[in-house]
Amino acid sequence: MANETRIDQLIERKEGGMQRADDTLSRAKDGDQTAFADLVREHQAMVFSLAHYFSRDRATAEDLAQEVFIHLYLHLVSIESPAHLKFWLRRVTGHRCIDYARKEYKKKTVSVDDAPEPVAPVEFKDSLMTEALRRIVATLPEKPRLVVTLRYQEDLDPTEIAQLLDMPLNTVKSHLRRSLVILREKVTRSLGEIKV
Amino acid sequence: MNRFDHELTHALSREEPSPDFTDRVMARVAELQKREKPRKKTDWLRRLAEFFQPPQLKWMKWVAPAAMAVLLLIAGFGVHHRRENERRRLAEIAEGEHAKEQVMLAMRIASAKLNVAQKKVHETAGHEDRGSKIEDRR
Repeated sequence: MANETRIDQLIERKEGGMQRADDTLSRAKDGDQTAFADLVREHQAMVFSLAHYFSRDRATAEDLAQEVFIHLYLHLVSIESPAHLKFWLRRVTGHRCIDYARKEYKKKTVSVDDAPEPVAPVEFKDSLMTEALRRIVATLPEKPRLVVTLRYQEDLDPTEIAQLLDMPLNTVKSHLRRSLVILREKVTRSLGEIKV
Repeated sequence: MNRFDHELTHALSREEPSPDFTDRVMARVAELQKREKPRKKTDWLRRLAEFFQPPQLKWMKWVAPAAMAVLLLIAGFGVHHRRENERRRLAEIAEGEHAKEQVMLAMRIASAKLNVAQKKVHETAGHEDRGSKIEDRR
């Protein structure tokens, strides 16, 4: 009985949250700046993190995230629902990141194998592992990097990633498989054997 | 999810940008709005013009090339049809000429045969006349 009440409460809270998000979106579409600021606040971590793990540079990531939100402001009328907003933001961020990487690629080229490996002691430490993984993810080629970030940061499954990036499902799966092999190899080399 | 997946999820967890991020975005939005305001004076005019404009559909850009392709197809078919008619007409004329030649040949053959027959008739008639005269003299 108590369990059922709790589930009802959770559903009510979720529905309330969805109603609020819907309301914020429609107010922002009507030109309410406070509502638009709320939308930015709600999604800034997602957009910024995608750009940050992609570029490995906070300033660049903030610039990219700002561009994404300005683009959102200009195209707010085309957003249909809070879910569509999330999808739209992820897609635009992905495209912006790839555009950025292509511009950067013209400036300098670093392949996965040439990239410096993180130096770390053999003993296992969480923060070192986290830092090593972030660095190695940043050395992956642009599309696999985006696929891995969307998979692990946003917890999206390959089908959702394929829709988001207009990519065949099998390409997404092979990007994920190959990237995981590279990541495992590199982390193992720099931090020692990991139990998986 | 295995341990490595957990590590990756942990390493790539969401982070917040700098605290003034929203303010900076909103400042840029305000700048954009300032630039947009002078345009609002002519908003009613723009809306009126938009009202009379044909709908801008995604497929509209394909209409001109498609119409051009259809026109080319029709023109091509027309040329082909005309050539085919001309070819058929010439074939009919050639066939007529051939038939005419055959008739002429047949007539020539018939005429030659008639001449031969006529000659033979004349010869026979000549013999018969001479025979009857001899008998009369007797």
